[in-house]
Amino acid sequence: MRPNFFHHLHPPTIPAKQSRWRYTLGAGGTAIFLMLVLGVTGILEMFYYIPTPEQAAQSIQTISYLVPFGGLVRNLHFWAAQLFLIVTAVHLVRVVFTGSYAPARRFNYLLGLALFVFAILLDFTGYILRWDQGIQWALIVGTNLIKTIPLIGNLLYIMLTGGTQPGLATLIRFYTWHIFGLALVAIILTVWHAFRVRRDGGIAVPPPHLRTDKERITRYELVRREVLAMLFSGAALILLAAFVPAPIAGPITDINAMSGEARAPWFFLWVQQMLKWGDPFVWGVLVPLIILVVLALIPYILPKPTNPELGKWFPRSNRFAQIVLAIIALLIIVLTIFGSLPAS
Amino acid sequence: MSDLSRRDFFKLITTALLAVSGALGLGALFRFLNYETEPPVKTEFDIGPVDQYPPGSRSLIAEVPAVLIHSPSGFMALSLVCTHLGCTVEQKEDGFTCPCHGSRYDANGNVLRGPAQKPLRALRVEITSDQHLILHTD
Amino acid sequence: MKRWIALGSAILLIAILVAWWVNSRQPKPVVLIPTLTGKPEYCLTCHSDVPQISPSHPVKTFGCVICHGGVALALDANLAHSTLRGGANPSDLSVVQESCGGSNCHSGAAADHNNHIQRVMTSVQSTYAGAITNILYTFGAQSDLTAHYGIRVVRDSQVTTSTGVRSLEAFDPAKATNPAIQKFAANCLVCHINAQPMAGAQFARFTGCAACHTPTQTPVSSSEYGGNQRKKLIHTLTTAIPYTQCNTCHNKGNYDLRTMTFVQRSDQPLPNDRLHNYYQPIAQFTQCEYTLDCIDCHTRTEAMGDGDIHSNEAQIQNIRCKTCHGTPTQLPLTKRLTDPNDIAFRQALLNPVVNLQLGDTVLVTDQGEPLWNTRILPDGTYQLVGKATDEVFTFRPVMGSGCTQNGIDQSSAYCHTCHAVLR
Repeated sequence: MRPNFFHHLHPPTIPAKQSRWRYTLGAGGTAIFLMLVLGVTGILEMFYYIPTPEQAAQSIQTISYLVPFGGLVRNLHFWAAQLFLIVTAVHLVRVVFTGSYAPARRFNYLLGLALFVFAILLDFTGYILRWDQGIQWALIVGTNLIKTIPLIGNLLYIMLTGGTQPGLATLIRFYTWHIFGLALVAIILTVWHAFRVRRDGGIAVPPPHLRTDKERITRYELVRREVLAMLFSGAALILLAAFVPAPIAGPITDINAMSGEARAPWFFLWVQQMLKWGDPFVWGVLVPLIILVVLALIPYILPKPTNPELGKWFPRSNRFAQIVLAIIALLIIVLTIFGSLPAS
Repeated sequence: MSDLSRRDFFKLITTALLAVSGALGLGALFRFLNYETEPPVKTEFDIGPVDQYPPGSRSLIAEVPAVLIHSPSGFMALSLVCTHLGCTVEQKEDGFTCPCHGSRYDANGNVLRGPAQKPLRALRVEITSDQHLILHTD
Repeated sequence: MKRWIALGSAILLIAILVAWWVNSRQPKPVVLIPTLTGKPEYCLTCHSDVPQISPSHPVKTFGCVICHGGVALALDANLAHSTLRGGANPSDLSVVQESCGGSNCHSGAAADHNNHIQRVMTSVQSTYAGAITNILYTFGAQSDLTAHYGIRVVRDSQVTTSTGVRSLEAFDPAKATNPAIQKFAANCLVCHINAQPMAGAQFARFTGCAACHTPTQTPVSSSEYGGNQRKKLIHTLTTAIPYTQCNTCHNKGNYDLRTMTFVQRSDQPLPNDRLHNYYQPIAQFTQCEYTLDCIDCHTRTEAMGDGDIHSNEAQIQNIRCKTCHGTPTQLPLTKRLTDPNDIAFRQALLNPVVNLQLGDTVLVTDQGEPLWNTRILPDGTYQLVGKATDEVFTFRPVMGSGCTQNGIDQSSAYCHTCHAVLR
């Protein structure tokens, strides 16, 4: 058959072993699918969402309860967003644990890391757009963390919130960041990220003279597998959204009267735990930045995976990098678990 | 028994299933987009007691917009919404003209000239038990 | 692979059908846009069976949120109820100002005695100042009978009567050193309208305004009362308050100062007829005291206060036998209603048991408060209509009868000597 547009986006063939579900876990592809869902549901929400402090929570209630299928659209958006963070984290872990960041793929690794940061910021800005009592804690603390940065903290705070305290200007800016500053830029970066995969030689495998398994699958088969993944994850997402509603709380009446529970969104619970240990700049800004820098330096500083070992899980040549990532991941997970326990 | 091959059978089934899914999805989208968030517009206007509008008067009720005419045969209200494309017509000595595309009406709302083809709407006037006038735009 | 894709398509279709099904099960939103707020509310989606609370608070005008709070657009119970004021009772005194107050509502009047919320917050039934003051005085914790403490802090900037007090501090049980006062604090601080009622169906009532204005006790004998007393749900506000509502607190027993306990009346379970139900076995009462409801005699100032903080029930209780019956040498005090803005007309409008007209003559208390449910008819007949029963009674003044009363002694025991009813 003649390849269509989607077939052409993929290479004519790819190695069979590395195209198996159990090799990639389908994480990168699922991430792109979730981005698609987020984009469509996000646009649909834009038909009803009103980004002012008085109307924001009310407009979300309108979407959740009054607009036909509005609740479904909102829940889809919420669950796709949370799953997106998990799936991209799995993708990052897979890439490191299979050594797929070795040159010439190091720049693409950085692109992916940047996208991961964008994903977290998108989840946070989206969370704030609720403007209800459930997000008040995160809004106040999150914006005040910026102030702790030496020298430029106050300037950055004004840039972020548009004033001296969170209010109308903050909400509008977060809305703009969410849609244009982050989502639009993330789409462009994702296209670049996907392009670089093909430009850097496709999925990481040993060079031909070192390859033992010559079996390959066609682009048609690859697209079929992706369609299958989209069908199943789409169905799962719809069922999840139909039965488990996204969180919602009463509208904020006074920006300074914090009535909700003092909890960070789940993906920042690890930071909330660290903030209990001492200086907010060190534990809230510096340490996360250091973790990011360490992750970024993995392909450049640590021993690289060797050619014969590409294309499989847990190669020995980059064992140290795997351990570093495993430790970081474990720490973050443990801190998150501690943070999710009820306050004693 | 048709000679549909197994491959074609699955293709047919898949297409049918996806078509129905797509239809349901579009249906949901259609219903999603058709919700009205704003409350319905006002169609009743209480314009005050009857004696505020003496016989022979032609009063401009800007809120509606309409002109209330107290003729010997009773009360009549003419809508000032141009029947062409909805601009508010202006009252002149001998009728009404529309500033947007030049439609002209006589003092009773009939079309004299202009792209408008239908006369100005006559609005229902109601007098309540406590002698208030209510204009109805529906 | 094609099989898998067909299966995937089938599962996707099932998921979409499930989503449509879940959507169809959602309650159809029922909107109400009250004329007072102009903002849509969706409470009626689930609560359409709640009756209108009173003719003075029509649903189309008020809606629900203006009194109850709550999240107007939410159809999820948890979110919708998350900002309710006072739970199910927005008239609880902790939230009554936001729910019932406001310049157009029940705290708009500048004068204390017309500001209902101010009156209730300072009334003896809500401050419990009388009992607290008396106990503190009796057991030596204060040297006078002027109230300094109440059940909570109360301030009054507008003192109009001679017995009014400027402020009360909150009685703090922790500061009590006398064991009797400590026992009082442990056992007795529940005798005010914002306290939770004691356990038992006969004590059941709400707090705040609803303690009196929401009838929770059906009358003893339903045939005595008209249909307006029978309400299935408790979403009711009324001024036609039957004696049974007052009796959720009153006439339930006596306090024993030696043991500092409340001794409930001895005739439990309560008998079913008015004569035996109304007052406890040791009480003495006349015929009118059990055939009429409490509010037929006790005025709005007595029950809800006059806007001033008083130290004792005696300072606000103004009704006497002579208010209606006069004395051997004096007819009862009356007032001819010549002002159409007289409060008597407003009260009669809220509870239309009498058709009060301009020029009618009504009885008044010594303080000038009109008893709007009484009238002297043109032929000289003294008439009273029961506010909760609609029953019409006629009565005679004492003057010209065989009564040998000393007109000065108005203590209840004095009249009871001859007129007490045998149970």
